[in-house]
Amino acid sequence: MIKKSFKVHGVYVHVPFCKRKCLYCDFFSCASDNTELMLQYADAVCCQIEQTQAEVTDYATIYFGGGTPSILPVDGLIRIVEKLKQCGFWQMPKEATIECNPGTVDLDKLQVYRQLGFDRISFGVQSFNNNELQIIGRIHNADDALTAVALAKAVGFKRINVDLIYGLPLQNLNSFQYSLQQFCSLNLSHLSLYSLILEDGTSLKTMVDNGQIKMPDENLTADMDDWVQKFLLQHGYKRYEISNYAKTGEESKHNLVYWNYLPYIGFGAGATGFDGWTRYKGVENIGQYIQSPLAVEKEHLTCDNIYSEFMFMNLRKVDGVRLKEYKERYGEDIIDKTLTKINTCIEDGLVEYDDKKDVLRLTERGMSLGDLVFSKFV
Amino acid sequence: MEQSHIRNFSIIAHIDHGKSTLADRLIEMTGTLSKREMQEQILDSMDLEKERGITIKAQAVRSIYKARDGEEYMLNFIDTPGHVDFNYEVSRALAACEGALLVIDATQGIEAQTLANVYLALDNDLEIIPVINKIDLPSADPEKVKKEIEEVIGIDASDAVLCSAKTGEGIEDVLEAIVKCVPPPKGSENTSLKALVFDSKFDAYKGVMLYIRLFDGVIRPGMKIRMMATGAVFDVTEVGVFKPNIINVNELRAGQVGFFAASIKTVKEARVGDTVTDAENPTDKPLAGYRKATPMVFCGLYPVENAEYDNLRDALEKLQLNDASLVFEPETSVALGFGFRCGFLGLLHMDVIKERLGREYNLNLITTAPNVVYEVFYTNGDVNLIENPCLFPDPNVIDHVEEPFVNATIIVPKDYVGPVMELSQEKRGIYDNMTYLDENRVMLHYSLPLAEIIYDYFDRLKSMTKGYASLDYELSGYKDTNLVKVDILLNGEQVDALCAIVHKESAQRRGRALVERLRSLIPRQQFQIPVQAAIGSKIIAREDVAALRKDVLAKCYGGDISRKRKLLEKQKEGKKRMKQVGTVELPQEAFMAILQMDK
Repeated sequence: MIKKSFKVHGVYVHVPFCKRKCLYCDFFSCASDNTELMLQYADAVCCQIEQTQAEVTDYATIYFGGGTPSILPVDGLIRIVEKLKQCGFWQMPKEATIECNPGTVDLDKLQVYRQLGFDRISFGVQSFNNNELQIIGRIHNADDALTAVALAKAVGFKRINVDLIYGLPLQNLNSFQYSLQQFCSLNLSHLSLYSLILEDGTSLKTMVDNGQIKMPDENLTADMDDWVQKFLLQHGYKRYEISNYAKTGEESKHNLVYWNYLPYIGFGAGATGFDGWTRYKGVENIGQYIQSPLAVEKEHLTCDNIYSEFMFMNLRKVDGVRLKEYKERYGEDIIDKTLTKINTCIEDGLVEYDDKKDVLRLTERGMSLGDLVFSKFV
Repeated sequence: MEQSHIRNFSIIAHIDHGKSTLADRLIEMTGTLSKREMQEQILDSMDLEKERGITIKAQAVRSIYKARDGEEYMLNFIDTPGHVDFNYEVSRALAACEGALLVIDATQGIEAQTLANVYLALDNDLEIIPVINKIDLPSADPEKVKKEIEEVIGIDASDAVLCSAKTGEGIEDVLEAIVKCVPPPKGSENTSLKALVFDSKFDAYKGVMLYIRLFDGVIRPGMKIRMMATGAVFDVTEVGVFKPNIINVNELRAGQVGFFAASIKTVKEARVGDTVTDAENPTDKPLAGYRKATPMVFCGLYPVENAEYDNLRDALEKLQLNDASLVFEPETSVALGFGFRCGFLGLLHMDVIKERLGREYNLNLITTAPNVVYEVFYTNGDVNLIENPCLFPDPNVIDHVEEPFVNATIIVPKDYVGPVMELSQEKRGIYDNMTYLDENRVMLHYSLPLAEIIYDYFDRLKSMTKGYASLDYELSGYKDTNLVKVDILLNGEQVDALCAIVHKESAQRRGRALVERLRSLIPRQQFQIPVQAAIGSKIIAREDVAALRKDVLAKCYGGDISRKRKLLEKQKEGKKRMKQVGTVELPQEAFMAILQMDK
């Protein structure tokens, strides 16, 4: 492989605070309403931004994720955004997104977000059924979600995403269809639709293991999956990644940086960055991060790691991947080895390769059974 | 030391009644090892033995004890494997002694294994000293145990020694009882060498070390000796004792216990139970009781990766150096490729070998379900022993089939007698008799097919009696039986390694249970997999493993990539443990499914 350096295409800022931790969440975040701590944290992020050297494209995307970025005091948020702009990380972003919990926004906050330059907002709605929201520990209800979306529209957000989850405890096909219908009636630009994954170490996992909560059965979630693909297409949402749907031209440009396996930079406790060769991650501890915001844990990727990640990230997109792209970036021709690895997957109809266009992509069946293909690359 | 000051003894006990702890305490008390050198249960030297709390190989430790009479005595303690699989080894170890400590848990009383071992000891004319252990426990009832010993075994228990191996209480009394009650050996040092091999151990430098008890004569380095059963002749290179570390000595004399090495390459050349004599001046008659250990339980062992076949063979050969009762020969399975059919003394022996292959030789193996050896009588008059269920012949050519039966002793609290009898009946047991040990406990005798014991008899016995039942058995011989072969088909293809020989009457039920079990064990795959059981061409049961509908990680963003990659790597690692059979990936447990059908 030829070692060359890449420019940063996306900037991620992690806000690891939440009002309350949801039962299924395994992201790094802490339940806190300590304004003082949050402001200290914001200063630490500024410090990290200031001291970080990187070659950034002028159109690099911006993404504030969490945790709950909308819980951050507006002062803190302003300081971070100003610092990003001052240091050249925020120039003319193709997209600037902020994640919000529907239970933590109001008109004033949303107006500030717009003024700061955020043009896209993402709400963690998860469901429009209150019993489902309650059992997974969300702090908001369905009405909050509707209100939040209305406010976002009112302050001028044109690009609004909603996250929904299927395979929730208590959920059935009807209630899931209801959530999707509610979503469609809002006429938003983007939907992230995840099936619930029981992650180790989460409260939900413990409760399921102890029999306190019952998860819906495998067949039900597969039925939901089958139904929703047709439904969304009928309503003008095109699937462009395994779990993401958008109206034409409304795809998340920031998340595409990840799926295109392009370099990105991460600021904040527990935030991950990637320069094309090495992945680094800030400490997952708010106190320690405030003390030394520059401390990162590095993971040097081997050539095999890079190849497998390049493949399974790129293949998540409906458009698939050009195999020559790898040679352009890393100098190695992978066409033959890739086709050898996946010949059985091609036979099984999970993946298809158009050699004229040089496009390898998952079939519709492969989109449901992606891990069978991805595992060929590790 | 004079023979009058030598005591050769063994300890017999049911599992968990405290044999190893008592042995540790005796060694500690005689100062054979300093406190610093002591580590818990030093005699069980294999990791596996420690973990399972069992003894697999016999050990022999010499210690010197200064008794209350002021004299010093040489105590040779021969530790025996306690498990029924190793009954023959136990009997040889006992044959090397003059006395045995019968250790019984003061809270539990006599168990089936205690009895079996006591009978072995009585067969060998040993002086038996009852030792009631764990008297420190609040629920200890030594008087009740004494009464049981007298009534059930029929030996005087009035002088039974009470002790707690855990606290050390009464240990000196145990040592005194050994000196006082165990008769000294009475062989002649001046006649030709006559020694019993009661165990052996392979050492990479010395070759096979034979553990011996000298009855007559002397053995020293430089002597030419002959193994009377195998006829092999060797030059003795080294003679020594265990304290319990190896100490070389100039000679071993009549009545003593120790080891010798003679550049013997494999344990096959010098088997347990054989008699060692002077090659130039042999004794006229070997010691009684030699027999070759015969494997009772067989299974197929296959490497998951075919490339590991040679490593598996090397590992089996190495284990065989130390274990004459392990037999194996190459076999081929359509489903599993090249492997070995291995014979074992019993299930524990099989488990131990399997675990050692995995642990010590790092082999990733598939084991087929264990089976017994069937004796098939053909219509044309031929007789054949079938060790592999796949090779069970077509019913048309069979005149009749015989299978091994055991005499089983079961001890249970009286409330469980009904269920145990029902279970034994279901398992084709033939009732023999029943005795009350006391007002609460009952001893049952049944004749049972060994195949049923291997299958799930013991597990079900344990669970239906909440663990109170104890079981012991010995092979009684072959009996006429009515068996059929049940084949398993996956995706319409017969999988030879999954077939099973079952009794005709239960074939339908077992076939059904087996496909249900397989359906739950086989992970969903891309396509639906029919699982069928068949007798001949007739399908008797079918279940389908539904096709996998969804297998993809929903979320994957910048922070998840490494984790996701590691997850995929882990899944791949897990897949490596699966065996591809035709188009189906089978987990290793599938090949043992027949053993776990009723769980």
